[in-house]
Amino acid sequence: MIDVRDNWRVLLLLGLCVLAALALFGPLGADAGETGLNESEQSFDDPTNLQYGLDLSGGTRIRGKLIGMTTEGVSISAEDQGSVERSIADELGLEGIDVTVRQRGQNSADVEVFNKSVTKSDFVDALSTVGVDITVDDIRDGVTGESRSAAVDTLSERIDKTGLGGSSVTTIGSATGGNFIDVEVPGEDRESVKELIGDAGRVQIIAGYPVESSNGTELRTEQVLTGEDFSSIAPAEPANEQNPAANVPVTLESQAGERYATVMQEGGFTSNGIGRCSFDAATHSGPQEGEWCLYTVVDGEYVYGASMSPDLAESINSGSFLTTPSFILQTGNFEEAQQLEINLRSGALPTELSIESASFISPSQAQQFKPLALLTAITAWITVAFVVYIWYRDVRVAVPMFLTATSEVFLLLGFAASFGMALDLSHIAGLIAVIGTGLDDLIIMADEILQRKERVETGRVFQSRFRKAFWIIAMAAGTTIIAMSPLAVLSLGDLQGFAIITIIGVLIGVGITRPAYGDVLRKLMLDDVKRS
Amino acid sequence: MGRIDVERVPYQDYSNRQLAAIPLAVLALALGIILIAYLVTGTPVALGFEFTGGTTVQFTAEDASTGDVRDVLEAEFDIESVRAIGFGSDYEVETQLEETAQLESVITDEYGDNAIQSIDTRSATFGSDTQQEALLGIIIAFVGMSVLVAAMFRALIPSVAVVASAFSDIVVPVALMNVFGIKLSLGAVAALLMIIGYSVDSDILLNNHVLRRRGDFYESAYQAMRTGISMTLTSLAAMTTMGIVSYYFGIDLLPEVALILVFGLATDLMNTYLLNMSLLRWYKYEGVKR
Repeated sequence: MIDVRDNWRVLLLLGLCVLAALALFGPLGADAGETGLNESEQSFDDPTNLQYGLDLSGGTRIRGKLIGMTTEGVSISAEDQGSVERSIADELGLEGIDVTVRQRGQNSADVEVFNKSVTKSDFVDALSTVGVDITVDDIRDGVTGESRSAAVDTLSERIDKTGLGGSSVTTIGSATGGNFIDVEVPGEDRESVKELIGDAGRVQIIAGYPVESSNGTELRTEQVLTGEDFSSIAPAEPANEQNPAANVPVTLESQAGERYATVMQEGGFTSNGIGRCSFDAATHSGPQEGEWCLYTVVDGEYVYGASMSPDLAESINSGSFLTTPSFILQTGNFEEAQQLEINLRSGALPTELSIESASFISPSQAQQFKPLALLTAITAWITVAFVVYIWYRDVRVAVPMFLTATSEVFLLLGFAASFGMALDLSHIAGLIAVIGTGLDDLIIMADEILQRKERVETGRVFQSRFRKAFWIIAMAAGTTIIAMSPLAVLSLGDLQGFAIITIIGVLIGVGITRPAYGDVLRKLMLDDVKRS
Repeated sequence: MGRIDVERVPYQDYSNRQLAAIPLAVLALALGIILIAYLVTGTPVALGFEFTGGTTVQFTAEDASTGDVRDVLEAEFDIESVRAIGFGSDYEVETQLEETAQLESVITDEYGDNAIQSIDTRSATFGSDTQQEALLGIIIAFVGMSVLVAAMFRALIPSVAVVASAFSDIVVPVALMNVFGIKLSLGAVAALLMIIGYSVDSDILLNNHVLRRRGDFYESAYQAMRTGISMTLTSLAAMTTMGIVSYYFGIDLLPEVALILVFGLATDLMNTYLLNMSLLRWYKYEGVKR
């Protein structure tokens, strides 16, 4: 009969192993979620609830910085916010959208400039024209937290809209002060992800039309609408009989509708200009002289020029447009229409994302790693079993030692499954490191407790030996955790997983599995005493 | 119980100076190599692409040799290195380029649309940020370990013994990386940090046996050695296996972690049982009296 009081550590370990098994194979695992891969792409059938990172499932990871610079806590009063923004933008020769003043208090604000061609001294000069005196040292590269989280929201939305499951967008702080935005998309290649996130995605609708002036006819361009003016955006439509071009049907906010109608009427779009635009994005790069065009401009690039249709002109002229201000934005092809729809829906990034690192691993390669990494771990495991047996030549010591080390890894995997940790190669390296330090500690315990020099009579001797052994183990564990903790916190990317697994593994080892092995050793020790 | 014992080392026959001479000479040699590397290249060890920026591409090229691949790519690009990886026909190309669309298209034209297995690009500034962070990580880890060790032993010489051998356990593998032409990667940084953990394990074991237990110095030291050497050799066996198997399979990251840990563990055997042992013996017989 097993004495529960003497063996509670072993029983605890067994109980936790059952929980880990449930997490790994049963209902306790975190939701598997979308991996972004089709069933057919999964070359290796995985019976567990474990989730895999890009290393082991394939896909793209891109890390970038938002371009811009920021100065904090300058004195700008809340009433002046708007005018200051405009004057700084004018001074720097930028558009209003490139300068943001974020009010922090009645008389204090942070100012951001989102343009890589502006230098710090330009920025200082521009601020001095609005009565703010700072030096170049008060300006830092990077943007504010608000801009970063706005960018994260926009990017997540863009990726979600394209239906790429299992992807993540996060910000990562680095020890050197910068902040990165990290985008992971399983199953996609680098080019398509870069395309998706690399551009700011600012949409402008610009009207270009001829005006008569004293110098003759000249071209006037005017921004009519921006991304915020749309109240609803319908799914992109391919070219069909009704509309010869691919398009995105949109509805305007009522104020924007009025503004739009006014510009259209005053610019002559709804009279002389009907149907008079022959812009071709392939050959033309900017507004055309002598034509009435509505240009769709994305990140400063003229992607399409549309002419006013007789129907729309009619509805603007009759005033019925104002009650339902909807029309279609035409594009060159269906793909552009989809991209435009995404840009309109997800909004623009506050600034451009400069890509600092981009990695891609093909799904077939990555999934090949899975069984291979498993095989590597198993081989290392068998070697260790063999070496341990050679040391002790006694299965009663070696087998429990081996099982204990195995249960440590099993508990770790259960932990990973229940928290939905995405396993990468670095985690596998961490698992192997845990087996290594775990065995070290088990060897210390076995040697300490089974030494035969002193006469062993009671459980008290066991207690004292166990405590001595445990002290060494706890010290070693403390140093390992200290050594690994910087990696767990720093943004060294690949190594975070390694450090976290090692730290958790050491904690599980010291707290649960190694004490349980102590119970096994006591049984062995007392058996020995009885026999001798 | 049939425990296999390790050989008893006749420590009595050697003076502390003699014992410490070997590890100190090795450490000096290692520091010399690192210094030369630093003077020649500007960094203590050659940095991998994760720290310098650039691009690595891994791809499959059926029926091509490393030479063929190099010829094809060097004709058009400024290539750092080409090497075969794994057991199949996979190759890895490194370059300082950050714009790689062209390189990718040459590879896919030459070796097929699905040839590219993985591709990594980093900007140079990101690389140098990573450098600083990695250095910071190692320094924090090392200082944290030293403080913890000092707090545990509350005595100068035993703490110095542990910290000194941990230092040497890191420095010697770095020197060996220079000798074998291994570039520092993130995996290598992880391995160097793991070495701190492993190194301290066996040192704490030895210190603990010698300082906290009654009985003869040599007997306690022998007990600690028996356990410590079993530990380290077991880890060495595990790491050697992991290194060979994962290299053969062409898995990233694992082979370099394993190789550097093998360097570190082997160095640790020497440092623990020669350097640390001699310092402890001096402390036990002479240092305490002072």
